[in-house]
Amino acid sequence: MLKINNLHASIEGKDILKGINLEIKPGEVHAIMGPNGSGKSTLASVLAGREEYEVTAGSVDYIDKDLLELAPEERAREGIFLAFQYPVEIPGVSTTNFLKTAVNQVREARGLDALDAVSFLKEMKAKMKLVDIDQALLSRALNEGFSGGEKKRNEIFQMAMLEPKLSILDETDSGLDIDALRIVADGVNKLKSDSNATIVVTHYQRLLDYIVPDFVHVLYKGKIVKSGTKELALELEEKGYDWIKEELATA
Amino acid sequence: MSDITIENKLTEMFDNWSKESVHLDSALTQVRKNAIKSFSDLGIPKLKSEAYKYTPVQRLINKNFDFSVSNQAAGWTKDACKEEFYQDDKANHLVFINGEYVSDYSEIRSTDDLEIKTIDDESFDQNAEIKNLMGKTRSIEKDAFAALNLAFFNNGLFIKVNKNKDAIDTFVYHFVDSESGQTINFPRILIIGEQGSRANIYEKTFSKGSQNVLALSILEASVAANAEVRFTKLQQFASNEYTIDGIYANQDKDSRFYTNTYSISGAVIRNNIHINIGGENSEAHMNGLYQIAGKSHVDNNTSVDHMVPNCYSNELYKGIMDENSRGVFNGKIYVRPDAQKTNAFQSNNNIVLSDTAIVNTKPQLEIWADDVKCSHGCTTGQLDEEAIFYLRARGIDKKSAKALMLNAFANETLEEVKNEQVKEEIEGIILNKLHY
Repeated sequence: MLKINNLHASIEGKDILKGINLEIKPGEVHAIMGPNGSGKSTLASVLAGREEYEVTAGSVDYIDKDLLELAPEERAREGIFLAFQYPVEIPGVSTTNFLKTAVNQVREARGLDALDAVSFLKEMKAKMKLVDIDQALLSRALNEGFSGGEKKRNEIFQMAMLEPKLSILDETDSGLDIDALRIVADGVNKLKSDSNATIVVTHYQRLLDYIVPDFVHVLYKGKIVKSGTKELALELEEKGYDWIKEELATA
Repeated sequence: MSDITIENKLTEMFDNWSKESVHLDSALTQVRKNAIKSFSDLGIPKLKSEAYKYTPVQRLINKNFDFSVSNQAAGWTKDACKEEFYQDDKANHLVFINGEYVSDYSEIRSTDDLEIKTIDDESFDQNAEIKNLMGKTRSIEKDAFAALNLAFFNNGLFIKVNKNKDAIDTFVYHFVDSESGQTINFPRILIIGEQGSRANIYEKTFSKGSQNVLALSILEASVAANAEVRFTKLQQFASNEYTIDGIYANQDKDSRFYTNTYSISGAVIRNNIHINIGGENSEAHMNGLYQIAGKSHVDNNTSVDHMVPNCYSNELYKGIMDENSRGVFNGKIYVRPDAQKTNAFQSNNNIVLSDTAIVNTKPQLEIWADDVKCSHGCTTGQLDEEAIFYLRARGIDKKSAKALMLNAFANETLEEVKNEQVKEEIEGIILNKLHY
């Protein structure tokens, strides 16, 4: 589904990603872990098409397409979804109104008819249950004045509405208490299927108790320096990141 | 010729006009004589004038208009006008042609709620209210263009909303024709909202012709105790149209006055709004949007005078400027020493979409009372790139993402427009302009 090959990226002339290799197949959950500043969020941003980042080398193939050629909205329509670490507050635009525009533009690109008001509402109600989100919240301006938990829940709700093939959760656990974390993780798990894949970007192992990864990768100084199964995450939790740094220094 | 000032030229024209026998004796002619004298004394604001700092009216008028040339006959027929009316059988539809109210073209549906009259020599003579109020709203005497309008207007419009009546909507249409030459218009409206009455007035303009048009409009409103007047104006002009517009209002106690001004296009638009809150527990609301492109220049100059205690004023103006347009906002809040417990708020927010658009914004607070709540805020910026990326990351194309955000930004100014048809129309115009 996704094949990242020797990906290099920089921002304002500063190299952040220095040769990422990663392959993701349908049905898989990959966790990307690593200390602060290792390039985790950059990787998520580059995949979603954030334009401040410049890809200086490498390629990303996504279902037979050159992902790096696509505009952010084209990626979204092709099934890439980025759950933002810091969802943006947009005054005056209601979540409902925004999502209707998004869902219909995505549907159009996928060759489906636009949803009318009634079917959209029906669809929304069904997906609201999934992340336990309140109708009142959705008629308010997008993320404006939402608590941290509400913002993240709204991200997962949008994910449910857009039915992506590849979801990238960027530090979705940051700013969440344990209850909110569980609700968000539940939502993600319910959306999981054999045909879609998930990348979970996280600093802590905590989220991986709830969203169980098939593979864990450690990103350090812009490279994946270690890959393993979920046990690797537990090891990192226990020992921190220093032992990896040391291992690399001695290697 | 160049040493003859425009003021002298206009005074001379007026003198010639007033010497015609039909005008000699009327009471209105006397008022006009005083007005032309005031105009001559005040003079058209010069470049040095602080109030017209960014809008060089004298130069614009000198360059584009010749007052000694009369307007040609307008080619708007009754049917052509009627075709442009809003679909509303229960409303009043009032027609101005080249600045003159034409009762014959108008459709007045209710004489119970409202009294509607032409302001001319005869009605001025007979109607004490017109005589007592027209040209006398506080502060209007300082406005040279209001004086000029008073001297030269022909067939003004008088609307009185009867006591305790919740009046039907009133639409005022200005039909302008500049096909066969430049056109200079002096539309004038006087509104009285009697005690406990409510009125909604909507104004818009239709133009044909491509010669220069100058509209020097005046609206005066007298809002009695516990009355409410809502006034909405859509300014969508062609690039040959210049407008200097004045709204002056006096408010009595427990009253509410609203202005909603949407400036969409035109060569130059200057809006002067002056509200005098002269009775306690009253509210004044001023909302406006200038969403402009090309070389359009929109200058909103507003002031609210809190003369008495316990009143509220709120002002929200928003600007979206593209290409080489220029938006000017000057908002004055004046709180007199006696006007304790005043709540006065003002905000002006601008989004600039091009490198060449210009915004000049200036709040002006003059507060002489010590127990008040007053605030002002102005912002000028570009669209939030992070927000645009967020919307795009959900599959919304860049253009729609911008439109969605700008639309939300602009729509906040529409909250006080009560007529759904008008609101939808303005929303549509806003949205349409966003999909450039």
